[in-house]
Order: sequence, then C-alpha cells, then structure tokens
Amino acid sequence: MTRRGRVALKVIVWGACLAPLALLAYRAWNDDLGANPISFITNTLGDWTLRILLASLAMTPLRIVFGLSWPITLRRLLGLFAFFYVCLHFSVWIVLDFFFDWPRMWADIVKRPYITIGMAALLSLIPLAATSTTGMIRRLGARNWTRLHRLAYVAAMCGVLHYTWLAKVGVKDPYWYATALAILLGVRVWEWGRRAMRRRHATATVSSRAENPLS
Amino acid sequence: MVIPWIGFPLASLLKRVEPTGQAKFVEFTTLLDPNQFPAQKPGFFGFSSLDWPYVEGLRLDEALHPLTLLTVGMYGKVLPNQNGAPIRIVVPWKYGFKSAKSIVRIRLVGEQPKTAWEKAAPSEYGFYSNVNPAVSHPRWSQADERRIGEFRRRPTLPFNGYADQVASLYTGMDLKKYY
Repeated sequence: MTRRGRVALKVIVWGACLAPLALLAYRAWNDDLGANPISFITNTLGDWTLRILLASLAMTPLRIVFGLSWPITLRRLLGLFAFFYVCLHFSVWIVLDFFFDWPRMWADIVKRPYITIGMAALLSLIPLAATSTTGMIRRLGARNWTRLHRLAYVAAMCGVLHYTWLAKVGVKDPYWYATALAILLGVRVWEWGRRAMRRRHATATVSSRAENPLS
Repeated sequence: MVIPWIGFPLASLLKRVEPTGQAKFVEFTTLLDPNQFPAQKPGFFGFSSLDWPYVEGLRLDEALHPLTLLTVGMYGKVLPNQNGAPIRIVVPWKYGFKSAKSIVRIRLVGEQPKTAWEKAAPSEYGFYSNVNPAVSHPRWSQADERRIGEFRRRPTLPFNGYADQVASLYTGMDLKKYY
C-alpha cells in the first residue's frame, strides 16, 4: 500500500472512532440524552469500547481469512481508541455516577460480579496501552510483547461478560458481541490448529525419513 | 422517580364489582399486540424476551389501598403511549415493573398470579417487589437512586418513602423472603 493510502486509512479510522464521541457531545449540547443522561452516556461509551475492541481483534482474522495485510497496521490505533473509550466509561462512572464515593464504588467492585469483571477488563488493557509504542516493542522483544498482548483476548472476554451479566433478561445485544468475539477467537484457534498440524506433519515426514535411510 | 400521576384509586373500581370472599389477588394483563408493541414479536430463533402478554398482580389488600391508582395522565397531560396509555396501574411503593401499563383486563382471582418477571427471572424479581434498600437485587445494589433531574444519588427509602402509609400491610412478613 502507498504512503498516501496508509495516511488515508488512518484518517478514516480516527474519524470513525471519534464520531461516536462527537455525536454524544452534540446530543449533550442539545439536551438530547434521554430521561437518565448519566446512564445513557455510560452505556454509549461502554458500547463503543466493546465495538472498537472487537474491531481491533478483527484485524488479524482479516489477514488469516482474506490474506489482507493492511488491516494489521490499524490494530494499535484501534486498541488505543478502545482504551480511550474505556477510560471515559470508567471516569463517567467515578465522577458522574458516584461522584467520588470511593467506599460505595469499592463495595460494588468487590460484591457485584459484573463490576468486578469490568474492572478486570479495564486493568488488563492498561499494560497493553502502556506497551503500545514501537520503543516498548523493541525493549520487551517481539516474542514477549506478543505474549503480553494476548491479554487483549482476556480484556475482550471480560468486557463481553461484563455486558452479559449486567443486562436485563431479554436484552439480546450482549449475545451479538459474544457471537462476534467467538468468531474472532475461533478463526485464531482454527489457524493455530492448522499450523500445529502442519508442524506435526513436517516432523513426521522428517522422522520417517530418518528411520528409513534408503528411501 | 417522582412523577405527578393523574388517576383515581383502583379501590373505587374494585368496590363497585363487590369482590367475594374468594378473591385474594388482583391480576392485570397488558394488551397483546405485536404491531403496536414490537418487543412482543418473537426475535431470532423464536427467542422471546418475556412470556407475553405482560401479567402483573397485587394482593387484594394492596390493590384496595388508596395509594394504588388507575392512572390516565401525568404531568397534567393525557398519558403518553410509552407511559402506558390509555390506562395503567401505579403502585408507588413498589418497583416500577409492578405497575402494569396499557392494561386490557383486570381479574379478581383466588391464587397468586404468576407475573411476567417472576416467570422470566424468579431469583431476581419476586411477587411483592416492595422498594427495599436493605434487599439488593442479586446483581446490583438497590440502596440508592438518582431522581430525574438531580445529579447526586440519594438513599432509597423503605417502601419508596410511603412506609407510614403501607408498612402495616406487611406486618409479620419477612420482606427478605418475600422480596
């Protein structure tokens, strides 16, 4: 892909990721956030955290399934935007929802499984955001860095569970996210399986040759 | 929430029909019309959010309490569709789902009605569902609330602030068990 193409892609991603926030600000400006503005803001930010996080996890499957390499260049940007939205989601909870009532919030973290798992999702994204720079990749070594960044799977699973556990009976949205995540992780499992088979096949061929030196 | 409802005590209607001694509970049924209420349509793979039509119920003495209203308006206006037009129940000391909207049938019955939310999630929603800050919903606290138009949360009061009027209906009952 040309340099101009790459820049255009990044501009599109920036625009797409900031649009929900702009829309939220526009609705707030027009007093159009419904009867319970705080829960509307919290839910919108949570929704977009999950959507962008799943989008970041869709980049590798696009390569595996369609052989496209350019989506990988967007993975970091998407991941950081997911982190940005989860920070806003968390800040709204602290400031607007509970107004720094720390004991009350701590009680919820400890007692309410959906909040506990939401916190786990947030915490597992922090090291990923912190090690997102090229310098950090070099410092950690590609191998360790890749291993650490598998935490993204944990974050996504915890995030989807967080939504599943807080939704009322009959609300189906969490299951759409769960289905999307299952597909995105399923593609990876399938790819790992295929590679493992190929490796085993390769070693099997080598060892059968060793046993039968005349062939 | 503090809503200025417009209505009349359900008791005045119930007394007209002169309930017999067999009547122990009152059952309310909401209109079943998936064209007007799209959420009543079966979803993907036939999943339904609730077992429609929506059914709610009260014990007869609760239904006869003067605070239990048959409601036709709010904020000085005719009830909007989304708030349960043309006529709904309002039970101000219970959680909102007890106040059935757009009702088309009221039955006096001998057995405790099986309500829609009890059928969907019995561990989360009991028949009584009196506002009770001391009893948490299994997944979240019910100790505080935010009123519409207010920024800070405020502590939720037992029976939503109507304890003086209604607590006597439940003397001797374990409200943790009958949530």
